[in-house]
Amino acid sequence: MKVLRTLVQVLFLGGVVALLLRGLAGHTPNTCEYYCPFGGLVALYPLARYKAYACALTELNVALLVSVLVLTVVSKKSFCGWVCPLGTVQEWLGRLGGKLFRRRFRLPKGVDRVLMNLRYVVLIAVPVLTFTVWKFDLGFRAYDPFYILFTWGGHETAAFSFYIVIGVLAAALLIPFFWCRYLCPMGAAMDPLSRAGALRIRRNRDTCTDCGECDKACPHAIPVSRVDEVTARNCTNCLDCIEECPVEGALELSWFGK
Amino acid sequence: MKKAVIIPLAIALVILLAFATTNAYRVPTADISFVECDERPTSVATVEFEVSGLKCRGTARTFARQIQDVPGVVSFVAYARTHSAIVEYDPALTDPDAIREAFEEPILHEGKTYEVFKMVSVAGE
Repeated sequence: MKVLRTLVQVLFLGGVVALLLRGLAGHTPNTCEYYCPFGGLVALYPLARYKAYACALTELNVALLVSVLVLTVVSKKSFCGWVCPLGTVQEWLGRLGGKLFRRRFRLPKGVDRVLMNLRYVVLIAVPVLTFTVWKFDLGFRAYDPFYILFTWGGHETAAFSFYIVIGVLAAALLIPFFWCRYLCPMGAAMDPLSRAGALRIRRNRDTCTDCGECDKACPHAIPVSRVDEVTARNCTNCLDCIEECPVEGALELSWFGK
Repeated sequence: MKKAVIIPLAIALVILLAFATTNAYRVPTADISFVECDERPTSVATVEFEVSGLKCRGTARTFARQIQDVPGVVSFVAYARTHSAIVEYDPALTDPDAIREAFEEPILHEGKTYEVFKMVSVAGE
């Protein structure tokens, strides 16, 4: 399954890199922003109020937002673990960091919990700033590592934007999924639906040996061995826990934990 | 683990649905009329241009400025997703070639000229 997920990740990451290269060569006017589901979320207010889109957002952003939310209802945050190119880059950097430093760094639980709420601040702040300070312009571009990285400093980015990307990627080397865990507004938007996601990991108490390998394998620090079914909002259904489980059938993918 | 295949299948399905349904609810990036309702000519023709450089609300406004002085241009609707502009005009006063010439005109900004818009294709009605 790891191979299948990696293939899907490579496909989407390759897609945005190809788009970047085609854009830099002048073969397409579209950037990764054209396919960004978070853009759909920013587009909702002007669409509802003025029947118009902000800046370069289009109905495709809205359609992809709906798609991602439907996917979340079906399969938790599979978008993050299987599709999102920034998530893929961070995952690979996290693995590299794990090899370099021979451990995964984690912030103290209390700090981690507080910082995770920053995503909600970003989720609210970006649309509000877009319609007030940035006057319907997409000012978040200058701060959004996905846009900065995959447009290689596109329209409205500045020199400091690259420092943001370097900071986010360096942090991902040390703390797995730094951006996703603490700052990603799209992840925050998916949270409530992710908890109810139908396709989720189920632990079979009768066969589980409580070895804790699944806990160690989870890149999002979910205590899989202590629950009967994983409803955690951060679960991306990456299936690393199942891969690492030494007992066949102790962990499996299920519909609603059944 | 067979259930895991459902995940990429679900991803493919929702993405395909997103692309398949976008045309069903097209909302213009800009919708600008150059004449009052009572000034609309009785006979109006429409031409749709695919234009490189037309990619957001800002460029749509620039596009409007480029064509607003062409006699006979009535209105214009821009769609950033398809990089297209649908222009209404009075066929007695102008034609698609004149409109094209107007929006392809280089723009002078702070002493420099920029070729912002270039027609890619045209589909008239």
